[in-house]
Amino acid sequence: MSTTLYSRRQLLKMMGITAGAVGVAACMPSNNSPSGGDDLDTTPTNFSFASWSLSEEAPKPVVQGLIDSFASQDGITISPVTYPYNEYLNQLTLQVRGGQFAGAVQLDVAWLGALAALGKLVDLSSFAEGRGYTDAALKAGQYQGKQLGLPWTIGAIGLVANRELMEQAGITEAPATIEDFEAALTDLKGLGNGIIPYAASTKVAQLKDILAWMQTFGSPLIEDGQVTIGDDASIEAVTWYKRLYDNGLIAPDVDRFDARALFSQGKTALYDDAIVGKSAVLRDSPDADLASKLEPWSRPVVATGDDPRALLWGHVIAVVEGDGAGTAAEFAQWATSDEATVVDFFTKLSLPPTTDAGLSSSEVTDDAYVSAFTERVTATATPNPFWEYPQYAQMESAIAEQVQAVLVGSSSPADAMRAAGEAVQALV
Amino acid sequence: MTAMVTMHREAQVDGGQPNAVPPPKGKLRRESRGVRISSWIAVVVFGAFGLLPIYWLLVTSLTPDSQVFRYPPSFLPRSLTLDHYASLAENPDLFRYLVNSVIVSVITALASVIVSAYMAYSFSKFRYRGRRSLMYLVLASQMFPQALLLVTLYTVFSAYGLLNTYTALVLSFTTFTLPLCVWMLKGFFDTIPDELIEAARVDGASRMRTIHSIVLPLSAPGLVAAGLFAFVRGWNDFIFALTLAGPHKQTLPPGLVNTFVGEAQTSWPALMAASLVTSLPVVIAFIALQRYLVGGITAGAVKG
Repeated sequence: MSTTLYSRRQLLKMMGITAGAVGVAACMPSNNSPSGGDDLDTTPTNFSFASWSLSEEAPKPVVQGLIDSFASQDGITISPVTYPYNEYLNQLTLQVRGGQFAGAVQLDVAWLGALAALGKLVDLSSFAEGRGYTDAALKAGQYQGKQLGLPWTIGAIGLVANRELMEQAGITEAPATIEDFEAALTDLKGLGNGIIPYAASTKVAQLKDILAWMQTFGSPLIEDGQVTIGDDASIEAVTWYKRLYDNGLIAPDVDRFDARALFSQGKTALYDDAIVGKSAVLRDSPDADLASKLEPWSRPVVATGDDPRALLWGHVIAVVEGDGAGTAAEFAQWATSDEATVVDFFTKLSLPPTTDAGLSSSEVTDDAYVSAFTERVTATATPNPFWEYPQYAQMESAIAEQVQAVLVGSSSPADAMRAAGEAVQALV
Repeated sequence: MTAMVTMHREAQVDGGQPNAVPPPKGKLRRESRGVRISSWIAVVVFGAFGLLPIYWLLVTSLTPDSQVFRYPPSFLPRSLTLDHYASLAENPDLFRYLVNSVIVSVITALASVIVSAYMAYSFSKFRYRGRRSLMYLVLASQMFPQALLLVTLYTVFSAYGLLNTYTALVLSFTTFTLPLCVWMLKGFFDTIPDELIEAARVDGASRMRTIHSIVLPLSAPGLVAAGLFAFVRGWNDFIFALTLAGPHKQTLPPGLVNTFVGEAQTSWPALMAASLVTSLPVVIAFIALQRYLVGGITAGAVKG
């Protein structure tokens, strides 16, 4: 019988490899096919509801009201679970992955793919039927053909303008083409007084906004699993963005929070945001009349007749399998499609509903800002094609870092976009 | 600064040489005035560097919402309000976060000091096979990224039903505080002469009695320093507290973010007011114990 002697270093190496292998194995999804919603037991049962809105000052009482109302109808207990928005997906992933959570979850539409990859979301197709959701809203809750989320509020991220500043610069209507848009920004720069014509995102954290501009210039971003970033359209878009940057029409170091702050102070005439940003802008503004000056703009197009591009934005409610999943699915259906409930939700938070009945209610149609936003921005909004992939955040970061390199002059648009395309392709 | 100190030392050395020609008195006075002015400038610059964030925190907490993002920003506030402080009283969750933070941080500090004191004593005063390897193993546990350990700890605590408990927080915090506390206290114990311990033994004291009656009282500054370090680690942690504590055991850092940082907006003035108020217990503790902290940290630095 032979005996193998290992040195301490070899033993440590083997222990390291074993630990690594265990770690990798632990991270692999055991089963990523969602379970069907048809066979869910809908006998009223207690469940948990995870929502970042439950920790935010404005929506908390409204969402808590929904929970209390549904719980009292069925005589059950709904346990609230909440995390800050920026940490929410990580925490939820850990909880779902570890089997610590079952019930309903509020999700950003961008996160559906990442959570669906865990294979624990329930297919809610049967709960979506006959409830009057708009087609666009339903699509926002679908992942690989399955209805994994019921749409709660759906909108888009589009351009928001300050009408007063526009008029001061002699701009009476939203420019339709890229050329007109750039000319309008130049006119706005002429106002002086430190006005930033367009508070476009230029910080890495929010540079993903440029994807809408790439699409505007004609890049599909990804087609049949093949990343197209690095094509002529994406290079042209980044070259144009860099020109705006060099000409002082957009400013360095701006993210969404900075843009809102600048806009609320009247220091920029234009920025990108969703409807949900309106309350933040108005709250921080010294101008009590700012609400009346807000104007959503369609994104300009390269050639007349093109569809203006906008990034879909919204929240869905998904259901994680486990105890109470059937009741949780009923809660998701009720909260997102019961007409009185969704209209009341809109009245209190100004978040647009997702059903035809909700959208055509007088409360929604009478809101000029929401109506204009829906008509000019949301109407042509599309999801980010990278959301299909659980690694979408790394993909967006890879693109943003390359765009940043162009803006600071350390890379050319062609080289940067080629590198970004390769980096994203490696993540597909 | 270094150049300044070097110049000063050179001046002292030159002055000490018997054959050196003393510089004229006026020149010396000019030099010492120059050194003093430079020192004051350095003190002001470094003081401002340290205190400016606190000033900004205070000013923001007193600024009305509509003025917070005024552009260009102003160093001096135009108008002040106490509304954000008043609103803290209306939020009972903040008091709960504060109590949780105190409980978790105090227990973490005590656990870290007690365990690390015995470990450090062993490393410092005993000689046994594998001692050095063990010491480095303890230190190596500090090298892992915390996020990596978080996932592992989450799984372990979940399996043992410890999630959403104080125990989970204390154990996880202690995991990180222990290595540094052990090394800090080992350095401190190294400075205690072995003869003192031998004398106690000769007088009939048991090993434990020697530790408790001789070594630990002499090491009080080191123990306080290690305890404060562990306390601050427990007080400031965000990600472990957020992940392991659950809604009812949540401590201040995740609690404040949960309360004031949202999807679309952050209530900066209220967040600053809450941060300032909830920092007060730690600030007071530091002021009371800072002489021990400084002494404790530096004691092990030079073996004498």
